[in-house]
Amino acid sequence: MNQIIEISIPQLLLALLFILIAQATSLVYKLGLNRDITVGTIRTVSQLFLMGYALTFIFGAQNPWLTLGIFVIMVFSAVFIVRGRVKEKQISYEIPTFLTMLSSYFLTALFVSWLVIGVEPWWEPRYFIPTAGMVIGNSMSALAISIERLFSQMRQQRDVVEMKLCLGANYKEASRDIFTGAVKAGMIPSINAMMGVGLVFIPGMMSGQILAGADPLIAIRYQIVVMFMLVGSTAMSTIIVTLIIRRRCFGESEELLLTPQ
Amino acid sequence: MTKLLELRDLSFGYDKGSPPLFEHLSLDVSTGEFIVIRGPSGSGKSTLLRLICRLNTPRTGAILFKGRNTAEIPPPELRSKVTYVPQIPQMTEGTIRDNLLLPFSFVRGRQRTAPDDVTLERMLEAFYLLGVGLDQSAMKLSVGQKQRLSIMRAILIGPDMLLLDEPTSALDAESASMVFSIVERLNSEEDKTVLTVTHSDYQPAVPQARSCIFRNGTLECAHESDH
Repeated sequence: MNQIIEISIPQLLLALLFILIAQATSLVYKLGLNRDITVGTIRTVSQLFLMGYALTFIFGAQNPWLTLGIFVIMVFSAVFIVRGRVKEKQISYEIPTFLTMLSSYFLTALFVSWLVIGVEPWWEPRYFIPTAGMVIGNSMSALAISIERLFSQMRQQRDVVEMKLCLGANYKEASRDIFTGAVKAGMIPSINAMMGVGLVFIPGMMSGQILAGADPLIAIRYQIVVMFMLVGSTAMSTIIVTLIIRRRCFGESEELLLTPQ
Repeated sequence: MTKLLELRDLSFGYDKGSPPLFEHLSLDVSTGEFIVIRGPSGSGKSTLLRLICRLNTPRTGAILFKGRNTAEIPPPELRSKVTYVPQIPQMTEGTIRDNLLLPFSFVRGRQRTAPDDVTLERMLEAFYLLGVGLDQSAMKLSVGQKQRLSIMRAILIGPDMLLLDEPTSALDAESASMVFSIVERLNSEEDKTVLTVTHSDYQPAVPQARSCIFRNGTLECAHESDH
């Protein structure tokens, strides 16, 4: 297989042309996105450079505690991003979300790197951190969708939920449709991704491996594992988090705590 | 008459720091009574009904149902016995039959036998819903019809007491009189205890009626001997 072609700094700067296209589009059509595009560009470059140096250090250190520490920081950051997307002030959901993400993503990453890929030791950072990163990145979006949907529907359908409670339903029965709708909304993007993979798009990880010189037949095997892993971890985390948050929407007397906004 | 419901020194406020909506509120309701609570909007009438079926929680005080503290009764059991009918009737997507049998799909409701079509049709007639088919969409009914249907649905789960929150506020005079006629019949013929709040000048035509006024956080009721 070919050796990877290195991108020099001038070549990297050439890629900024795409950002200029986006900036020009925003300017011409008065989209008001110029500031966001600039901030996004700066963050992409600085965060990825930082990550590059950090990963070089972590891969060299070969320390399980350092690998796990990085994993915890990644999950912690993901919760902050979810918190930014979900505009809910009345019910707190951050701690259960953090703990669920931490445990379910750890189990998924462990299962994949240790049992499926068969890495020795299981915490080998070159495998464990990218695997965990993909799980966290995908499931984080799914979680944000599910949590947002749960809160918004609970508020919108407040009268229907209370009507069911008044007719003898427990809180689970009164909010069953809202719960399933929220979990489905979170899971559909990763199921759709399974439908389109290899047909509509080539996933980032597989493209990366091919660009780095890997055999496409090996790259697809990794991608299949990744696709299955993402569906599984998304299902696990959205269901657990949505179940916990739904309970928090109701008080001790199974009364709906969310007030109209 | 035996005491069915006792409100003991209740106080309630929406937010922790805010002043209470009412304090030291007490009321005894006997089996078979028909109580009408009147008062200006925002006085706390609806909140009182919501506290009784624990859709809201009182800051202090206790509510006893048949001598048991309602905080110790499983909520589905309490709400099946003391059933709250909201001001705006709520229906789910589906037929009238689906809506009427909705409570029987819940764990609590499955302990009772669901009524058959003949029983439901007979009840529809008694609730002035003659000509309304069980297979008809519930969403297409008028507000007045929905209100009667929601009271009928509440009755199907066999409550001891009905809590009616402004049951006629969204209805025209004819629909309103139908609703009150149904409720009075349920009280006098089926011995259902009724607690209704309203800002209308409705006077129930039943001998066991009692009138209360909710004003400035206090509840003043006419004495039993006054009627």
